[in-house]
Amino acid sequence: MRDWKPEILRRLAPLKLSPTREAEIAEEIEQHLDDRYKDLLAEGLSPDSAFRAALDELKNEDLLARNLRTVESELYREPLSPGNASSTLFAGILQDIRYSFRMMRKSPGFAAIALLTLALGIGANTAIFSMMNGLMLHTLPVRDPGSLVQILVHYPGDPEPGFSDFSWDAYQTMRDNNRVLSDLIVGSLNVYEVSAHGVEAQNIFGGNVGETFFEGLGVRPAIGRFIGPQDIATSAPVAVVSWSFWKTRFNLNPDIEGQKIITNDKPLTIIGVAQRGFYGLSNQAQQEIWVPYSLEDPKSSVALSGHLRPGVSAEQARADLAALYQTFVDRPNTNPFFRKNVVRVIAAGNGISTPVSQMLSTPLKVLMATVGLLLLLACANLAGLLLARGASRQHEMAVRVCLGANRARLLRHTLTESLLLSVIGSAAGALLAYFAVGALIQMFSSGRLMVGVPVRFESLRHLDVRVLLFTGAIALVTGLLCGAAPALSPSNTTPASALQSGMKIGETKRQRLFGRSLVATQVALSLVLVSMAGLFVGYLSHLRNDLGFERNNLLLVTLNFDHSNYNAAQYAQRTQELVRQLNAIPGVRSATLSEMSPMEGPGASSFAAAEDHPEKTTPVSINNIAPDYFRTYGTPLLAGRDFSARDEGGSHAAIINESAARDCFGNESPIGRHITLSHITATTGEKTYEVIGVVGDAKYNDLDQPAPPTIYRNLHQEQNLGSQLAIRTKVAAGGVANAVRATEADVLKNVPIAGMIEMNDQVDATIVPQRLFATLSSGFGALGALLAIIGLYGLLAYTVARRTHEIGVRIALGAESADVMRIVVRDAMWMICAGLAIGAPLAFWGKRIAASLIPDLPVANQLPIVIAAAIMIGVGLIAAYLPARRAMRVDPLIALRYE
Amino acid sequence: MGETTFQAEWKKGSAELLILSLVEARPRHGYEISKLIEQRSRGAVRFHVASLYPLLYRLEHRGWLAGRWVEKDGHRRRRYYRLTRAGRKVLASQLRGWSEFVAGINSITEAENA
Repeated sequence: MRDWKPEILRRLAPLKLSPTREAEIAEEIEQHLDDRYKDLLAEGLSPDSAFRAALDELKNEDLLARNLRTVESELYREPLSPGNASSTLFAGILQDIRYSFRMMRKSPGFAAIALLTLALGIGANTAIFSMMNGLMLHTLPVRDPGSLVQILVHYPGDPEPGFSDFSWDAYQTMRDNNRVLSDLIVGSLNVYEVSAHGVEAQNIFGGNVGETFFEGLGVRPAIGRFIGPQDIATSAPVAVVSWSFWKTRFNLNPDIEGQKIITNDKPLTIIGVAQRGFYGLSNQAQQEIWVPYSLEDPKSSVALSGHLRPGVSAEQARADLAALYQTFVDRPNTNPFFRKNVVRVIAAGNGISTPVSQMLSTPLKVLMATVGLLLLLACANLAGLLLARGASRQHEMAVRVCLGANRARLLRHTLTESLLLSVIGSAAGALLAYFAVGALIQMFSSGRLMVGVPVRFESLRHLDVRVLLFTGAIALVTGLLCGAAPALSPSNTTPASALQSGMKIGETKRQRLFGRSLVATQVALSLVLVSMAGLFVGYLSHLRNDLGFERNNLLLVTLNFDHSNYNAAQYAQRTQELVRQLNAIPGVRSATLSEMSPMEGPGASSFAAAEDHPEKTTPVSINNIAPDYFRTYGTPLLAGRDFSARDEGGSHAAIINESAARDCFGNESPIGRHITLSHITATTGEKTYEVIGVVGDAKYNDLDQPAPPTIYRNLHQEQNLGSQLAIRTKVAAGGVANAVRATEADVLKNVPIAGMIEMNDQVDATIVPQRLFATLSSGFGALGALLAIIGLYGLLAYTVARRTHEIGVRIALGAESADVMRIVVRDAMWMICAGLAIGAPLAFWGKRIAASLIPDLPVANQLPIVIAAAIMIGVGLIAAYLPARRAMRVDPLIALRYE
Repeated sequence: MGETTFQAEWKKGSAELLILSLVEARPRHGYEISKLIEQRSRGAVRFHVASLYPLLYRLEHRGWLAGRWVEKDGHRRRRYYRLTRAGRKVLASQLRGWSEFVAGINSITEAENA
């Protein structure tokens, strides 16, 4: 057998291939030559001539290398060791990525934890940000959105920012006399039912607008003309529609002008189409139709916005407009409610405030801050994990440095690894966010409907370039943050010492301190998250339970008497019979009828004056109730008596709650005294009542407001047809639902049940943002605590592994297992206590910020922080348990051989 | 054995087609491929090691061939090349192009020599 190798290798040498590749090619060609040689021998050639003929296959000296060069230069560029010095910064980046993937495959547990951590952190951020983006970061496509403001009136104590609700007179006063706005625009957000010939009736958003609406917003007509002063003056039956309305309903028919449409049962003529892309004053409700403000309807109000003059601040504008508004409400015969109103001027460049933005903007800001903390925690966690792993790979790094890897390359390689993790994590996070937003929207939609404008959440499900950029940016920042510490630490390595000391390769004191401070940071951040969760959960439970009535086992039934044939007397008689029969159903404790139930929605209100002080009026809420109302709802009767059948026909009687008693009568007993109500909702007359009882305060309509002064009137005396049945049960409220339905259908003919809900659900529907806070912050708190445990456990386990030798020596010298355990636990407690010391002020400060956004939050209570600290210590000990046990079980003989 | 310029050009153009069609039926190793080319062309076409293996690696790099070391009992391991799915497509289109080319040449030469 001939040896071809030297011949082949000599020809391959100029290519400088990697040893493995070179050997592979040589082996293949060697075999070829061998085969050829044997064939030539078989053909009868002498060994020498066969050898020469076979060698002839290689042709001249450099042909093989020349032919191979172009192929091999594209292939197998892998150098001896990853991290080899290369000429440019970005050379071999693919190789780094490939290598990172290989490392991930090698430790799938680590990769899984890291990716999950990042996916959750980045996913939560993306979800909340995409909702914020849809809600408040989109600028309206109108002229000069930066100076666009909305003018509102706010009733003190009202949790919502206010309503843009002015009379035409007030508008004219402000328009003609203000010195702060360059224009004042009349434009509201309403819903209209619109139909036309060949166009199906549909509810769409639209607005009542004044003559300067389009001009003020810098919109031009695509066709026809806009609403002008003469349309307002004559209350002309005309409408302007949006470009998309023209396209979808009229297929861009050029003869749109003069077409008739029916809007809220009123025939209107289309006079123009607004320019393409204009959809009014809100990002959440795209307006499709605009009709002139009608002077004919004396009750209708106008919604106002406008552009600030250059150099005028919102506060200056507010002061000027408030003074003008004051001159208007100071006129005689103004509803006293208006006198209390405060004018507000708020920025409207991102759209006027709508129920959606009112409900969600504060929760989203708080949640954004929370998920930001969570991401920071995830970064600290991952940095800790990477650092510990980096320390255990110091040997490998040292080998690479010895083999000629340059340090910039090693640094880049470590960063590539963490960036790759964060990129994959963000992709998973974005997917997670998509579903999370869906779930959140579902939660929002479970809320009580608001008056006026239907709530539409579609705009929140809005993934655009901005959201993608945001996710990309946090992925980058996260990757750099997580990777920076471990990336810098291997480059400190002095290869000689790292290789020399074998197993004991150690961190420097600085690195050790850094690792510990990362864990302390995690403890601190999770203390903040857990204490916030405690705060919100406590607040929610306070809201749910401090009601003034008993919410469990209470079934509410709404009756629809619109189509009944009963007159008032018959209805009263039948409903009394119904209540009597409901009381007889097994499992029912008591039943009652009232005009409304607590938390049902806006109720009636009025001003009350006590008989001795007619000049002093108190705003009060009103409910009309049948006997047994308080017994059924579980509100205590403090003095006097409940209504009874004998009140009917007698003088007008009323029961008031504690707040109303205090406001009207001070410390005197109200029983037997008289109270006069004026400006009862939608009426003008006055009525005087004799107070026959005082009951405990109960929430009326808003859980997060104190119970308002309330006056209860006798339903039957007021000739009121109560529609709310309340049934207190001994068993779960749902258990009697069928019996209630059957009884109701039997007693009240033609009065269907319009709705049935348990009080618990009705209460929950009013506190969606608070429930959201409590649920999400609990989730984030738990997640934060979990991450901190992982971080602490990881570091302790790593420390114990590294100190096995030392622990072995200690045990050999007579240390008890309790002593060994103490070493580990003390280590853990140091980190936890440091974390708590940093976290407690942060938590305290965070609570202050949350309280500034959410009024009524119980900030004085320090219990959540204390509980959270206890939880952190508890979970810290759990995290320390496994490493401590492992340390206790160290066998000194094995440990000493470790070296 | 000297090659004319014409032969060298002709080989360059058709080499890929030859190799791809030889491994279409089953995987073959390098020496087998070179021998088959020589036999089937009755000695008219020959590939030397210095040009055959670079070409095989190039085809492999393009993803048309896939090489694999195969060990058989009692023999040294050999590298076998098989046609990939992408290679199969390329082969089909080259064959089509080739027959159109041959048909074109034929119709010209036949018309001239008729």
